[in-house]
Amino acid sequence: MKKRTKFSSPTSKRSFMGEMKEYFQIAVRNLRTRSLRSWLTILGIVIGVFLIISLLSLSEGIKATITQQLKALGGEMIFVMSGDLSNPMSLFIGGAKLEKVNIDAIKKTRGVDKVLTMSYSSSVMRYKEESKTVLLCGQPWEEGLELLQRFQGWSLAEGRWPVPGRREIAVGQQVANEIFKEKIRINTESVIKGKRFEIVGILNSLGSKTEDSFIYLDTPLYQELTGEKRGTAQMAMVKIEEGASLERVAGDLRINLQETRKRRAGTDIADFSVITSNTMGDIAGNILAVIQFAIVAFASIAILVGGIGITNTMFTSVRERTREIGIMKAIGAKNSAIITIFLMEAGIIGLIGGAGGTILGAGMAKLIESYGQVHPVFYFSASITPGLIIFSLVFSFLVGCLAGFFPAHRAAKLKPVEALRRYE
Amino acid sequence: MIQAPIIKLEDVWKVYQLGKVELAAIRGISLEVAPGAFFTIMGPSGSGKSTLLNMIGALDSPTKGKIFLKGKDISKLTENQLSQLRGKTIGFVFQEFNILPNLTALENVMLPMIFQGKSESERKKRAKELLISVGLEDRIFHLPAELSAGERQRVAIARAFANDPELVIADEPTGNLDSVTGKKIMEILTDFHQKAGKTIVVVTHDPNIANYSEEIVNIKDGQIVVNHKPNFHLWKQR
Repeated sequence: MKKRTKFSSPTSKRSFMGEMKEYFQIAVRNLRTRSLRSWLTILGIVIGVFLIISLLSLSEGIKATITQQLKALGGEMIFVMSGDLSNPMSLFIGGAKLEKVNIDAIKKTRGVDKVLTMSYSSSVMRYKEESKTVLLCGQPWEEGLELLQRFQGWSLAEGRWPVPGRREIAVGQQVANEIFKEKIRINTESVIKGKRFEIVGILNSLGSKTEDSFIYLDTPLYQELTGEKRGTAQMAMVKIEEGASLERVAGDLRINLQETRKRRAGTDIADFSVITSNTMGDIAGNILAVIQFAIVAFASIAILVGGIGITNTMFTSVRERTREIGIMKAIGAKNSAIITIFLMEAGIIGLIGGAGGTILGAGMAKLIESYGQVHPVFYFSASITPGLIIFSLVFSFLVGCLAGFFPAHRAAKLKPVEALRRYE
Repeated sequence: MIQAPIIKLEDVWKVYQLGKVELAAIRGISLEVAPGAFFTIMGPSGSGKSTLLNMIGALDSPTKGKIFLKGKDISKLTENQLSQLRGKTIGFVFQEFNILPNLTALENVMLPMIFQGKSESERKKRAKELLISVGLEDRIFHLPAELSAGERQRVAIARAFANDPELVIADEPTGNLDSVTGKKIMEILTDFHQKAGKTIVVVTHDPNIANYSEEIVNIKDGQIVVNHKPNFHLWKQR
């Protein structure tokens, strides 16, 4: 044998990670070479992840808001509303009324300690030359105030409670500080439906932006403003007697209310909703679960389409690079190396798409949230948790890998001789 | 001194199935290549010489017969085993260069070493040495598109020697080059052959290349027609 000098070199084995790093660099370079196509493919994933992140973070936010509100309501309360809650829209519309006879029936039910009726509607309020839509809430001050302070945690940030019989109102935090350009101060005047009212108190935050967006006034004032019939209300809050069972009282309330309705209309349609804070949470949770399921389903379709886009791009790439694959195999690339490189390319597309979609989706959710904060009626908060971000990144990466699997497999299966011969 | 051949073919057949017709590209070829030899396969186009070369280079497996590389039967190896074998022991030079267009000259030469698990610094050092040895010290960071045909083929030669293979096979290495450049390429190849003691198997139909060879086989219709050692003595004196 002739002597070997200059051309011999020692072999050293690198770690598995070192090898992966090399393949990763090759994969990145390959994507860069076809940068327009790579970006378009990435865009397909961006859209899907964008949908998932923006919609899920908002629905998560709504869920958090509702949970928070329910917590603020306290556990020992029962709510009575007219209308059937199995039709969820009645929750939001609240058109039906509790008549005087119904309210009396509630008051007479065994185990009921106090009943606080409540009505609400929206109206335009003028304050210092500025008119905005606000929410009005009518409650009987005399009987209700103590209940609200003790069980609902009401307290004043400034001023005093309105005195029944005078044209005085109290406003929530959001009304005082956010809705009007000029912050509301106590002992100033405002005009609602052409009538003047004195703002005498500003409430501390009640724990949710919606509740803080109300203007609270005595029931007679409310009924005068809105034309609501005396003795009626939209809903009633029931405080039960100490020691009474929440569920039993709720059951009795249902029976009594049905009786009143039967007597009046001669029908037996149950169109009252008697709910405890527990059942309210269940109902809201169910509705949101359906909404979230729909969101995930539709966004998954978008991601699936994005994934098909990746598969398509990768197949094109395999065809185009047949010769390149042949060369790599000829100079010693094993099948696993070829598969790894192609999978990495697809995975990178998925991951970048996921990251882009997450950023855009989070931005969109925050934008909607900031809109929701200046508008008092629709309050949204976006809940972008680390879990959601990690989920979407991992998910999009996996979609990429899955989409790249078949093209990568095809690339690896190419025989070097045939791959080199093609396109000659 | 008689050495064990680095390559030995025993009654090798390669049959292609084209629809219902069988086409035998190689028909029972047997040959031996001594280690350190400069071995040339000649023949007209369609004679099966490239098919033969591909099998010698472990790019392809025979339909029938046995191929021994360093005494080991490689005719039944799996795809992955062949890849490993090629990466370690065989270097390739092709007629159409086959260097990757989106890698620089340096990266092209470094590529085969990635698959052998060499460290980056080691790869860089070796690739630079090789590029200098083929006279491309000024072209190290150029992309193939910025290189002339002759320069590309020199990159390919440097790449073929990257993993210090014992065997280098070259399929019409001068086929796409003008005669002056082709001569230069052959000089580089013979230089490697002499200095590094590599076995080189070349396929060509250029009779001039015969001048560099120790042994020539002529192929026609998939069979060896002549096997001779033209300038064997000349070789030893050079």
